[in-house]
Amino acid sequence: MKFSINQLSELTTPFSSIARNLNLLGQNIPWLNRLREQAFDQFKIQGLPIPNKKIEDWKYTSLWNLARQPFKHIAKEHLVTTEQSERVALLTNTYRVVIVDGIFSKELSQLHNLQEGLAIYSLSAGIHQVQQQLGKQVNINKQGLTALNTMLMNNGVVIMVSIGQEIDKPIELLVINSGQTSNIAVHLRNVIIMERHSKATFIEHYIGLTKQVSMTNVVTEVVLNDFAELDHHKLQQESIDSFHIATLAARQEAGSRWRTDNISLGARLTRNDIHSQLSGTQAKTIMNGLYLVDKNQHVDNHTHIEHLVPDTASDELYKGVLNGDSRAIFNGKIMVHKDAQRTNANQRNHNLLLSPGCEIDTKPEMEIYADDVKCGHGSTVGHLDEEQLFYLRTRGLDIIGARSLLTYAFVVDVLERIPSSSIKNTLTNVIEKLLPKGGISV
Amino acid sequence: MLKIKNLHASIDGKKILRGINLTINTNEVHAIMGPNGGGKSTLSNILTGRDGYTITQGEIIYKNEDLLALKAEEIARRGIFLAFQYPIEISGVSNIYLLKAALNAIRKYRGLDELDAIDFLSLVRSKLNLVKMDEAFLNRGVNEGFSGGEKKRNEILQMILLEPSLAILDETDSGLDIDSLRIISDGVKTIRSSDRSIVLITHYQRLLNHIIPDFVHVLSHGRIVKSGNKELAKELEKTGYNWINGENMDMTS
Repeated sequence: MKFSINQLSELTTPFSSIARNLNLLGQNIPWLNRLREQAFDQFKIQGLPIPNKKIEDWKYTSLWNLARQPFKHIAKEHLVTTEQSERVALLTNTYRVVIVDGIFSKELSQLHNLQEGLAIYSLSAGIHQVQQQLGKQVNINKQGLTALNTMLMNNGVVIMVSIGQEIDKPIELLVINSGQTSNIAVHLRNVIIMERHSKATFIEHYIGLTKQVSMTNVVTEVVLNDFAELDHHKLQQESIDSFHIATLAARQEAGSRWRTDNISLGARLTRNDIHSQLSGTQAKTIMNGLYLVDKNQHVDNHTHIEHLVPDTASDELYKGVLNGDSRAIFNGKIMVHKDAQRTNANQRNHNLLLSPGCEIDTKPEMEIYADDVKCGHGSTVGHLDEEQLFYLRTRGLDIIGARSLLTYAFVVDVLERIPSSSIKNTLTNVIEKLLPKGGISV
Repeated sequence: MLKIKNLHASIDGKKILRGINLTINTNEVHAIMGPNGGGKSTLSNILTGRDGYTITQGEIIYKNEDLLALKAEEIARRGIFLAFQYPIEISGVSNIYLLKAALNAIRKYRGLDELDAIDFLSLVRSKLNLVKMDEAFLNRGVNEGFSGGEKKRNEILQMILLEPSLAILDETDSGLDIDSLRIISDGVKTIRSSDRSIVLITHYQRLLNHIIPDFVHVLSHGRIVKSGNKELAKELEKTGYNWINGENMDMTS
C-alpha cells in the first residue's frame, strides 16, 4: 500500500487505525498514542510547507515532488549481508546499530560487550526510557515534517550515557537503504541523553546501496546535561534519487559541548534543520558542515543557534562545493536572547561554484537582543582561482588534477576541525573519492 | 634547446611582442633586461603556456617540438620551469604535497617510477639546506604567510627538486636583501649543468654578479633591441634605458 504525504494529510480515519495498518511501534503505550494523535492533528493543519512560498524558511526549497510521490510507509524486511554492511560502514571498531529499510537489524549491529554506563536501544525497546525527553527538543506545532515524523516514527536509536562516563568507542548508527523495493519511506527518531560529565562520539550515516527513489525523514533529539560532551558526526550518502529530510535538535546545559559536523553528499533533495539551544552558562556549540553536490541535486541547510543565557559560545563553519546544475541553500540563524550577555558567536559560510549552471543562496541571520556580545558572520561565493590553477599547472599538474587539488584545499579546513583523527581520515577519504580525479593522497 | 623566431603576440587586442628572435642552447645563461612594460613577463608567460595570448606571427621550437601547441602542464613536464615573480599562495595545499605531486607528475612523464612518501621526504630534506629552509616550511600551506624572501626561496627549492632543462627566473631577485640574494644565487648555481640553461629576467646587475650570464638581451617595446655579453648589463646599470629607448625609436621609425 503506497500513499503520498498529501494523501496522508487528507485521511479522515482515526489515527489508531492508521497506526494499526502501518504496524507502528508502541500502539499499547497511551502517552505515545496521545503524542501521535496530536502530531496527526497538527500535520493535518500544517501539511508540508508547500507550495506556499511565503514561508521564509522554505523560500528556496519546494517539497512539491516529495509530497505527491507515493511511498510505502511500512517497512519491509530485506536482506543485506554482513559483508555489504561492513563495506559501507565508516569505521570497524564501533558500537554499531544498523537499520535496513527502516528495520533494526540485530545481526548486522554490533552491540555486544557495551561499556558500563552506556545503554543503546532500538527505539521500540528504549522508548519507555525517554518518555520525559521525547519530543521536547522539537516542536510539532511549528514543524510539519516533525509532526509527520512523530506520527509515523517506527524506528531509530536511543542512546543513554551515564554520569561521568567517557565512552571508549564511537557509537555508529548506520541507516541503509537497500534499494530492493522502490519508494520506501523511513521515519526514524533518535534520542541521545548525555548525563552530567559524560563524553561520547556519535556517527549517523545514511547510505543507499542502489539508485532508487526513497525517503528518509529523521528527527534526532540530543540532551546534553551539565558538562557533557558529544562529538556528533553525520554523513549522508543516500541514493541520488532519494529525499533526505532531517531535523537535529539539542538542548545544552551548563558547560556542555556539542560538536557537530554535517556532511551532505547524496540525495536528490536534502533538507537539514539543525537547532541548538544553549540553555546553560559556558555551554558551547560547534557546527561544521560540508555539502558537495552535482547534477540536479538540491541541498538546503538551515541552522539555528539560540544563546539563551550569559556566557555561551558558538562557532559555525559551513562550506559547499557546487557543480553541474545543483542548488544549495545555507541559512544560518544565530539568536542572542536578552539575558545572554557575553555571548561569543561566530558564523561563516563559504561556497565554491565549479560550473555556470549551479546556484547558491546563502543567508546568514543574526538577531541580537543583548548588548554585551561578540558576534560575527560572513559568507562568500567564489570560483576556482585562475592564478592558482596556472601555478599548479606550471608545476606539472594537469587541469583536472589542479582543479581537484584546489577543490580539496577549499574544503579541507572543515575536515581539519574534526578532533578524532580516524574519523577525520575516513571522512577525508570519502570526500576525496568525489573529486574529479577520483582521489588525491595527502 | 629553445628557438624563438619572429614572435608576435598580443593580449586583448593589444600588441605586446613585436618580433622576438632568441636562441638558447644548452649550458647557457641568458639575462633578459629592459624597461617595465617591454614584454619580459609576456615572454615568460608564453614560454610557460599561460592562456589568453594571441600569437599573430612566429614560432617557438623547444627540443624539436612546437611549444605553442603545448599546454602549461605539458611544457612543465618537458622541463621548462618558471620561478614566479609573485609566487602564488595556496591555502589548504601543503608545500610538501605540491612538491611531491609536481615531482611525480614530471617523473611519470619521463617514464620514471613515482617516489613514495619516504623516498620523497629524504630527497626533499637533502635539498632544503641548499636554500636554507627549515623543514617546518614543508607542512605549511603553499607560500601561505611566507615573507617575500621565503616565497622566492620556495620557488628555488621547487626548481632544484624538479631539475628543469630550462629554468626561467622572473625577477626572482626583486625585493631581496643581500643575504637572501646570495642564498637564491647559490641555489640557482646548484642546478647548472651541461644539459641545462637558465634565463634570468631582471632589472638589476647585482644578481648577475653572482650568476654570470653568457648573454645579455635588452627587451623593449616587444623586441630584443640589443644583445651582448655581461658587459652590457654593467653598461645598462650606469646609463639606464634612455639611450636604448632612443635606439628603439630609431628602429621603429
